[in-house]
Amino acid sequence: NSPAPLPERAIYGFALFLGSWFGFILYLIWAYIPETWLFSLGLTYWPQKYWAVALPVYLLVAVGIGYILLFGINMMSTAPLSSTHTITDNYAKKQQQKKFQEEAIPALRDIPISEVNRMFFLPEK
Amino acid sequence: MAEERRFRSASGALIALRRRQHSASCRELAVRGPRLQLRSLSAATSAVWLAAYGLFALSENSMVLSAAIFITLIGLIIYLHFMKIDQESLLVIGSLGIQVTSSYASGKESTTFIEMGQVKDVVINEAIHMQKVIYYLCILLQDPDDPQGVSEVVPLFQSSKPRLDCLIEVYKSCQEILEKRKTAPQSS
Repeated sequence: NSPAPLPERAIYGFALFLGSWFGFILYLIWAYIPETWLFSLGLTYWPQKYWAVALPVYLLVAVGIGYILLFGINMMSTAPLSSTHTITDNYAKKQQQKKFQEEAIPALRDIPISEVNRMFFLPEK
Repeated sequence: MAEERRFRSASGALIALRRRQHSASCRELAVRGPRLQLRSLSAATSAVWLAAYGLFALSENSMVLSAAIFITLIGLIIYLHFMKIDQESLLVIGSLGIQVTSSYASGKESTTFIEMGQVKDVVINEAIHMQKVIYYLCILLQDPDDPQGVSEVVPLFQSSKPRLDCLIEVYKSCQEILEKRKTAPQSS
């Protein structure tokens, strides 16, 4: 699953490149060329030209709202001050206590908040 | 003995911490915020009345002006009674429990009592609150099933939000009393 270039990926990329250029030119033709010229060519089944302006506007407004929505979702999923999630979580509750070995670095563990507070705020006598 | 010290809240307002020691195992810590300022009251009243006068000038309806006066009066009463907390106090009684009191500007007081058996510890926790990380003091309640677990967190001093220096003072005072209950003989 490495991101290295492969021949298949080169072909997909080129096909997407051609497809997106084709789509863009088609969009420009639909938006700019008057209907009468298109009808005279025999191409009559197009959506209303109103959408050539409306769809980009919808997209941009959706992106703008997405910024505000993401901000709001972030604020909503922040744990409130009264939740136990600010202190502990499932992994910390189920952690195993490893035995203390002399002259070895102590194992990594979640230190309970009471102990941390005592360490920080009560002066060592 | 009582002593009072000035600190700042998280938003920069001046608050005062008053410590009173009633006995060896009973202490009261009160944090008092600033009173309602005349300038903010005048600013709010003028804003509402100017807006109402602007509406009156547009609509020629004089009920807008009376409505603005009512809104200002009723809004002020609601604000003073439900939202403006003047003083929050913590009364720690060593063998009995912890009482948390909030006094509103209108004189209303709301109290909560937590008995000592339920209190696991009083700690300073830091958490994210409204795009800021703040320190706040909280009471950890014991989980009856799990001796190491915390069932609930009760945040204290929510409206005055003192900064870390004030919180450390309160924390030290509380810990002096809470430590004694471990060494005190169990009575059952």
